[in-house]
Amino acid sequence: MLSAMPRCSFTSCFILLTLTTLSACERRGGCTGAGCGTLIDAAVSEPSTLLPPSSEDVTANDIDEQLFLKLADVGMSTNTVGDEDFQPLLAQKWEWDGPLTLVFHLDPRARWQDGTPVTAADVEFTFNAYTDSMVASPFRPKLRRVASVTQRDSLTAVFRFHEKYPEMFYDAVYHMRVLPAHLLRSVPRDQWRTAPFGRQPVGDGPYRFVRWQAAQSIELVADTNFFLGKPGIRRLIWRFTPSLPVAVQQVIADQADIREQLVTPDNVARAKAAPQLAVYTYRGNVYTYLCFNERTAGDTSKPNPIFADREVRRALTMAVDRASLVASALQDLGKVPPGPISSLVGIWDPDIRQLPYDTAQANRILNERGWRDHDGDGIRDKNGKPLEFHILVPTTSALRRQYARLLQEQFHAIGVRADIDELEASVVSQRTASGDFDTALLSRSNDPSPGSGITQSWTRDGLGGSNFGRYYNPEFEHLVDRAISANSRDQARALWKTALETLNADGAGIFLYSLENVGAVHKRVENVQFRPDSWAALLRTWRIPPDRLIDRDRVER
Amino acid sequence: MTLGNWLALVVALILAAEAVRALRHRALRRERWRRFFRHRTASWGLGILTFLVIVALAAPLVAPFDPNRQLDIVHLTNQPPSWTFLLGTDLLSRDVWSRAVYGGRISLGIGALGALVAVSLGTLVGALAGYYRRWIDAVLMRGVDVGLALPRIFILLMAVALWDGLPFTALVLAIGLTSWFGTSRLVRAEVLALRQRDFVVAARALGVGTSRVIFRHVLPNAAAPIIVSAALGVGNVLLLEASLSFLGIGIAPPEASWGNMIADGAPSIYTAPWSTLFPGLAIALVVMSLNAVADGVRDALDPREDGGVE
Amino acid sequence: MGGGAWLLRRVLASIAIVVAVVTFIFILIHVAPGRPCTENLDPRVCEQLTRQFGLDKPIVVQYWRYLVQVVHGNLGVSYSLHRPVADALLETIPFTLQLAGAALMLDFLLGLALGIYQAGRVNRIPDVVLSNSTLFVYSLPTFWLALILLLVFGEKLRWFPVGGASDPIFCPVIDSFFCVVDRVWHLVLPSATLGLVGAAGTARFQRAAMLDVATQDYVRTARAKGVPERQIVMRHQLHNALLSFITRFGLAFPFLLTGAVLIETIFAWPGMGRLAFEAILTRDYPLVTATALIASTVVVAGNLLADILIGLADPRLRVHATTDADIVTA
Repeated sequence: MLSAMPRCSFTSCFILLTLTTLSACERRGGCTGAGCGTLIDAAVSEPSTLLPPSSEDVTANDIDEQLFLKLADVGMSTNTVGDEDFQPLLAQKWEWDGPLTLVFHLDPRARWQDGTPVTAADVEFTFNAYTDSMVASPFRPKLRRVASVTQRDSLTAVFRFHEKYPEMFYDAVYHMRVLPAHLLRSVPRDQWRTAPFGRQPVGDGPYRFVRWQAAQSIELVADTNFFLGKPGIRRLIWRFTPSLPVAVQQVIADQADIREQLVTPDNVARAKAAPQLAVYTYRGNVYTYLCFNERTAGDTSKPNPIFADREVRRALTMAVDRASLVASALQDLGKVPPGPISSLVGIWDPDIRQLPYDTAQANRILNERGWRDHDGDGIRDKNGKPLEFHILVPTTSALRRQYARLLQEQFHAIGVRADIDELEASVVSQRTASGDFDTALLSRSNDPSPGSGITQSWTRDGLGGSNFGRYYNPEFEHLVDRAISANSRDQARALWKTALETLNADGAGIFLYSLENVGAVHKRVENVQFRPDSWAALLRTWRIPPDRLIDRDRVER
Repeated sequence: MTLGNWLALVVALILAAEAVRALRHRALRRERWRRFFRHRTASWGLGILTFLVIVALAAPLVAPFDPNRQLDIVHLTNQPPSWTFLLGTDLLSRDVWSRAVYGGRISLGIGALGALVAVSLGTLVGALAGYYRRWIDAVLMRGVDVGLALPRIFILLMAVALWDGLPFTALVLAIGLTSWFGTSRLVRAEVLALRQRDFVVAARALGVGTSRVIFRHVLPNAAAPIIVSAALGVGNVLLLEASLSFLGIGIAPPEASWGNMIADGAPSIYTAPWSTLFPGLAIALVVMSLNAVADGVRDALDPREDGGVE
Repeated sequence: MGGGAWLLRRVLASIAIVVAVVTFIFILIHVAPGRPCTENLDPRVCEQLTRQFGLDKPIVVQYWRYLVQVVHGNLGVSYSLHRPVADALLETIPFTLQLAGAALMLDFLLGLALGIYQAGRVNRIPDVVLSNSTLFVYSLPTFWLALILLLVFGEKLRWFPVGGASDPIFCPVIDSFFCVVDRVWHLVLPSATLGLVGAAGTARFQRAAMLDVATQDYVRTARAKGVPERQIVMRHQLHNALLSFITRFGLAFPFLLTGAVLIETIFAWPGMGRLAFEAILTRDYPLVTATALIASTVVVAGNLLADILIGLADPRLRVHATTDADIVTA
């Protein structure tokens, strides 16, 4: 081309290439034997803080699971009643000191990663922080029934409750991760969200925090002196890829090891076809529903002209062929939930009575309530107002966006017009929280116990909180109270069944799908256990046999 | 695809070919148009554009299905192209061909409208700056600099994000309002050169009013950059609409536009590539044709041109 | 018109432009409906934020406070990221510059090479094939091209990584030559996506420009005089090519900084575009305003540099250069 441009002579190019290869080679060798291993998780959302009480973010929860310990945790059965199925963690043993008092004895071997021992003072501090309104933790309402937490001595913490109910132990241990008082006491409570500790946490768990490359990755390394046993995998890395299809691609191309949720049937098929991946199915803890706002959008003092009418809600629910929607979008990766619960929860019962799919009846009801097509435009109207509303969907979920379009068409078939508003996730949160919406397609994750979740989303306790639609039925609340305080599991099931049937009959929301989780993990990993309520809870028990180590496992740094 | 649809399609093809041929005959009389038609790509581009516009206008005749109808969400999702579904079906069991045809109406409409606003505004500003010069020129061109310092996507995103429920026409207007800066510079340069020419000086000496001078003497001779801007502008707006839809802020469902078809089909690109492939190709085809036509116009109207370029 | 006076005028104009951009963004944000208090914040916490950031004061007061703040080097705290804005932005700048730099390099080198090659073989088969190919590539939506490249080269062939800016195990920070190579390896696909489309445009433009020049008298004379073809090409066309590229660069730069959000999202490249996009959608006012400030400063500085270079190279061109490229990128 142009003789003026420098030409790479054969020798210099060769040298360059050799240098590069050699410098790559210097990374080989390193860790061999058991206890090596690096796992990369292709994560989608990046947390904003790793301080447990300040975040509800899914990824933050997974990472905090490795960094901070709870007093005890549920077992694989996720049974939340009583205390037999719980595994001791920070608490070595516990006993009841009277019907309303629970005493925990901490494991003396537990240490914070800066060497300080974990004491009951930390437990007391943690409870005060979680319930402090200045911290504004989303877990605060869940700890309502715990009256106080005090320390009897440095290794004994005492929990006192307001009243007796079956899930006292669960409430005491599940929601809080114990925090280091000596490091957080000096942080002003209203600045916990922005505290530097949240970006460089110090915990007492099986893994230690190493680094956080903003917008790229978070790295954790195993604590070899962890008192409950050295973790099997030496290094865990969460790598952030904002686009789910690209994250799946990374796992398929063997550039990541774990994708805990594949979500769509397409992704599952591709993962199954990848030779190096093993696919695991586990019960899902998320359900998705269309929330009706029973108050006027933007003004919670007035009833909603469309959705305050119970019959209209019922008609709209009956107009949607939920089973076909699941078959279309999820095939066998989802089920129609019989209420606001996911398949994880023990009270799931396909016999719970729900509104049937019946467009004829839906049309009839709407006619009876005065919604007819008076002006011949194909959309029903009443008193000059058309039966139309907006569906709020977060842009982050392709599945929900697909569902919004499916719903739009289902409503269109009975003369109802739905417009789709796709907005950013935090804007959707803000608008649903302030009641500035008509309907919204929301996903909620269940705790293993239905009680706290359902109370928060569908009763008076949730008004101003997670009960976005402002649904209220005193009969339903009464049933829920009785179900929560029922003495036997069978009694509880029967009561929950009746409660959910009441909720369904009211058309409180259209419960669309509960995801069956399918995750993909590299074949070389053994002892893979996904606990349904929190997939990463048992990461420390995963192992890679020494004869199956690959390059990224061996890296020593 | 019914027989009627195929017939309509063939008729559209013939019409487009005939239109181009007729234009060519008429054009042989004038030097400039001869130069335009000498470029094979330019004539092909014109032909393709005409064909696509006719198809878009005749959408009900060419499309066998209602573009928004979900035919069978359980059994007919992501079907590959076949004789019934010429371009297959998408994730929601809608016929891709029908959606592409009706979507063409919307996409081409947005392109035309957006380009119209952009070119009109750009021409006006550029003409004023070039004609009056001095401080008007300085102020206007600094304004153009400010407009160029931030990319369109940034401003449009802000407009959409800050005003929930921005109506579609407002969005197109916003696209037009952020796309005129380049055109204004070009027109300004052209006007600056033209205002020294004899016929303009003569007109001004004769006392012809400024606006008349601008509109009847200067601008017609500055036609080349204006037409080229318009042609390329339509293409840019099309690509912009595709980007906005991919980000989730384009045309609202269930209406189809080429951009939101790509966005809807993107998650299934590995298993059902046709739902993203065809709208993408359609956009590429339109933009290519526009570019080819713009090339032809540029060469045809450029007074400096006396040797063939292609 | 002395060089010094011209320079001073340009610098002052540049500063004015940056201020104008920031003012515009500021007004736009505050004119639009919607509160800055996002998330289910306790009303008391929201109140606190409002007081802390003075969000209830009149807009002029807020504007003045902001300007003062910026002059002192404090860009505010991000509502959505819970960190100082400056930290978040500064982290993204190296990535953005790497992507922009690589894309521009590919654009210029490949485009120039193609343009010259084509002009040397006008209307022959390679020229026709390349012309149509560049036309096609130029007309593709970039994110579409990105998805295709990622599928073919990332997943199927596994030649390049599927997204990300660096290997999280070996090179979370660049601390060795190997890590530099790693970063380049991760840079290939995203910069190729941006660069290829740009190169197609440059090639088309260069080809036309060179053929334009080829017919001009002084070139014909030189050729008639027997000056070797290579020399003609080098002296005249390269010089012009460089000048026009510098102009186009000035216009393409804003896009590469904050407009490449789609590419950055698809390739998980932690650049400024993605940050700006998320900031806008979450109504994170401090971050949005700061991004506009930094982006426009870089753009304006780039343009100033470009104008200086052009002014030095060819004093005749010391006005705004205008090229057809303007319409393409603006």
